[in-house]
Amino acid sequence: MSEEPPPIFSAWGRLYAAVAGYLFLLILLFYLFTVTFSGRR
Amino acid sequence: MRTLDWLVLGGSLVFIVIYGLYKGRGSGTVSSYLLANKTMPWWAMGLSIMATQASAITFIGTTGQSYVDGMRFVQFYFGLPLAMVILSATAVPLFHRAGVYTAYEYLEGRFDLKTRTLTSIVFLIQRGLGVGLALYAPAVVLSVIFGWGDRWTVLIMGALVITYTVAGGIRAVTWTDVQQMAIMFLGIAAALAAAILLLPGDVSFLDALYLAGAAGKLNAVDLSFDWENRYNLWSGLIGGLFLQLSYFGCDQSQVQRYLTGKSIRHSRIGLLFNAVVKVPMQFVILLTGALVYVFFLFEAPPMLFHRAEAARVEREAPDQYRETEARYRQVVAERREAATRLLASRGDDARDQYRAAQERMAAARGEGIRLARQTAGGGEYNDTNYIFLTFVTRYLPAGVVGLIMAAIFAAAMSTISAELNSLATATVIDLYRRLWKPEAADGHYVSVSRLATAFWGIYAMGFAFFGRRLGSLIEAVNMVGSLFYGSVLGVFVLAFGVKRASGTGAFVGLLTGLAAVWWTSRNTGISFLWYNALGCLVVVAVGVAWGGGRRARIKKA
Repeated sequence: MSEEPPPIFSAWGRLYAAVAGYLFLLILLFYLFTVTFSGRR
Repeated sequence: MRTLDWLVLGGSLVFIVIYGLYKGRGSGTVSSYLLANKTMPWWAMGLSIMATQASAITFIGTTGQSYVDGMRFVQFYFGLPLAMVILSATAVPLFHRAGVYTAYEYLEGRFDLKTRTLTSIVFLIQRGLGVGLALYAPAVVLSVIFGWGDRWTVLIMGALVITYTVAGGIRAVTWTDVQQMAIMFLGIAAALAAAILLLPGDVSFLDALYLAGAAGKLNAVDLSFDWENRYNLWSGLIGGLFLQLSYFGCDQSQVQRYLTGKSIRHSRIGLLFNAVVKVPMQFVILLTGALVYVFFLFEAPPMLFHRAEAARVEREAPDQYRETEARYRQVVAERREAATRLLASRGDDARDQYRAAQERMAAARGEGIRLARQTAGGGEYNDTNYIFLTFVTRYLPAGVVGLIMAAIFAAAMSTISAELNSLATATVIDLYRRLWKPEAADGHYVSVSRLATAFWGIYAMGFAFFGRRLGSLIEAVNMVGSLFYGSVLGVFVLAFGVKRASGTGAFVGLLTGLAAVWWTSRNTGISFLWYNALGCLVVVAVGVAWGGGRRARIKKA
């Protein structure tokens, strides 16, 4: 069974990598949010 | 609830039921009733996957948890996007190509009948517990607002969901999920907007974040590692990954969503849609809870958020109650002044005073909670699930209250309908058709599937009557799941990735994994998110050690 390509990306592996990168970015943003507003000294 | 709220809530419920009945027409074959003839587009599947996971507990429990404990619960979902990627690459193509109705059916082709049957029974037990809790949550809503007994709400909610789920099968479930998710998005947006707009005029959104952060409520990421710390980055990424892999990869209530896809491509995109949207959505819900905390800095919150319990305590111990509440009122006023001073100065001393006032207030509320427990004969009192509802019903304008209530009901109904549908599918496909009556006509199985859906609906209503004995509902559901999930995941890891694993090895491994998780939960302080990893690893280790198998060709059972 031939595999249908994903949207936007040329291969599924690239789309998966993009999702993992997106998660990393979210965690980074949430971490900055925590540090910015936690008032830690 | 005012007239407009009733109109919004009632109109939403009636629309959902009628829409479900309409979209479920023509589900006269097993393939149509249980898999929608594999015709669903990715966006409907993606929204249905999200709606199934987002129960009423998501609204009621998560916002309250953020008020009490801060936003750290968002880390629980960090493993979800990775799980979606792994499942898209592994489970989705395997399940699709095997042409199965249930995830457990796949295991018979790979291993044997006993492994399929045991995993299916484990699912029925676990999901049976979960569906009762999912039905109980909205009963909490109405018991607070109207003073209705929980049981009436359970009966009404159960009857509505059973009606369209029995009649229309998965088609009705999926298309109503799409509508329900839309209502939920609106409800979340309305709650967040209300929490911001109801702040005092001289407190900006950034001020609110500053106050919430200074009180430790914006702790979205915790880098420290501790086995007994329930939510930190590592438990969320690793423990959460195992939990989400188990839930989306081995739980029929989710697997059945993406088995309805038009193709492997559509199913994958549906899962990845969830990967992208879910974490930000939970962040917004938790942020709403943190902003409700700030709102209650300037608007005195009740000492006990459960109104009926507060009235009972006041009735049974009037002097103690008044004395405790007077102290509470005093520290609430002190905290408000400290918050105002902190906003004016932003200095270290003011921040320390604000935090000290917050701690005194928490201690005073703790005294009230202890009093509630004492007067209940040492029983449980946990009002986390009432905090957000108190905010909504007491302070939000007409129409918005109805919309948020509709979102809570939509969340509950979408979860319950998918769970009933999947429970019926596992019952009929894995047990009835496989073990009892394998040669009946297609129409017979459709009729039995309808009966099974109704049975599980009635069972869920019975179970929901015991919901009040549990604490914070969201954690209860997740903890129940974690006792079973990891071990079942281990069986699928053996099936997908260990060629030498045998059916008997997987079967013995599953029993060993369940026992290991049960022992750990009873005898150690390890946080429940780690149970999934533990169960999975034990099953895989036993399965690999047992060996003796050969990779069977996957055949439709």
